Amino acid sequence: MKLYLYCLLEGIAQLDQLPQGISNAPVRLLPIDDLAVLVSDVDKDAVAVTRETALAHAAVVRSVLDRTTPLPFRFGTLVSEEQLRSYLSTRKPALENNLRLVRGCVEMGVKIIWSISNNDPHEQQLSDEKQGAGARFLEEKRREILGDERRSAQATEISGWLHESIGELIRDEHVAVRPSEKLVLTAAHLVERNKIRQYREKIAEARASRPDLHFLMSGPWPPYTFANIELEFKTRFGVS
Amino acid sequence: MKLSPENPLSAEPEIETAHVEEFVEQLRCVTDTLPSRINIDAHSVEQGLAKLVLTLIEFIRRLLEKQAVRRMEGGELSPEQIEELGLALMRLEAKLQELKTQFGLADEDLNLDLGPVGRLI
Repeated sequence: MKLYLYCLLEGIAQLDQLPQGISNAPVRLLPIDDLAVLVSDVDKDAVAVTRETALAHAAVVRSVLDRTTPLPFRFGTLVSEEQLRSYLSTRKPALENNLRLVRGCVEMGVKIIWSISNNDPHEQQLSDEKQGAGARFLEEKRREILGDERRSAQATEISGWLHESIGELIRDEHVAVRPSEKLVLTAAHLVERNKIRQYREKIAEARASRPDLHFLMSGPWPPYTFANIELEFKTRFGVS
Repeated sequence: MKLSPENPLSAEPEIETAHVEEFVEQLRCVTDTLPSRINIDAHSVEQGLAKLVLTLIEFIRRLLEKQAVRRMEGGELSPEQIEELGLALMRLEAKLQELKTQFGLADEDLNLDLGPVGRLI
């Protein structure tokens, strides 16, 4: 029998109502020292990645969000109770730091789509018919590379602008910028709960000021992006 | 931080956008690239290996192109050398395209997600 792990909690000694877990397994609170872990007992070596199991995992983690800020485990983490206890006791200072970081916060997400273009009217040149195919090929590549560099600079500018717009409202952020893709920016922001309204207003203002960009804002979510415990867990126990 | 009954978290998470279809399309592209389970059968292993090798070749090919363009812009190359280098890179691109078709791979398949560092290409 193994434990399926949902999330790590602090300051919670008892929970009355919990949703059903993956594969309808009951969920229980396992206190370990002054921390606690939401777990299900499962008789499996792996959990299939399906819509149902993913939603069940998310529902359990989210069920405690109105009482505390959990540190979610990576989906599919299965360990023995001994492994879990050993992990928590040896990594306690790092986990407490992690819990301190996310305490009182939630994760908000912003995604930005832009219209990417390879063409810059200033860079357009007519191909020289006297050039050979090889030279024309390299000239075309030169224009593509210049376009890439321009897009990269623009994407960096968007990232900086977004940070400027909401920087004072966030405790931490993870931003991925991909200039070559339509979905140019994906940001996760750690926002204190009492600043969510201000955060939403700032994003709405930012959105109104840049009609050239398409925004998607989501949240509040448990701080999945800031949990950072799954990699440690995998490294330590080879859990997959 | 103490949570109050009026806490906005009693509500479900919200998703706000005026461009739903566009984001759904983009997010579908992302999920399509996520590995679900690795199937250890002969065909998928062969294709997975081809994908990895061709991704690395594509990465090196792009580096070569950038280096060639840099040298061209720096005036280091004669017109004959530019033509020769351009033809060689053109043939390399065509050959890679041929290999992609052979293994049923599209342009967007040739990439590696390096986690926090971003994507290789």
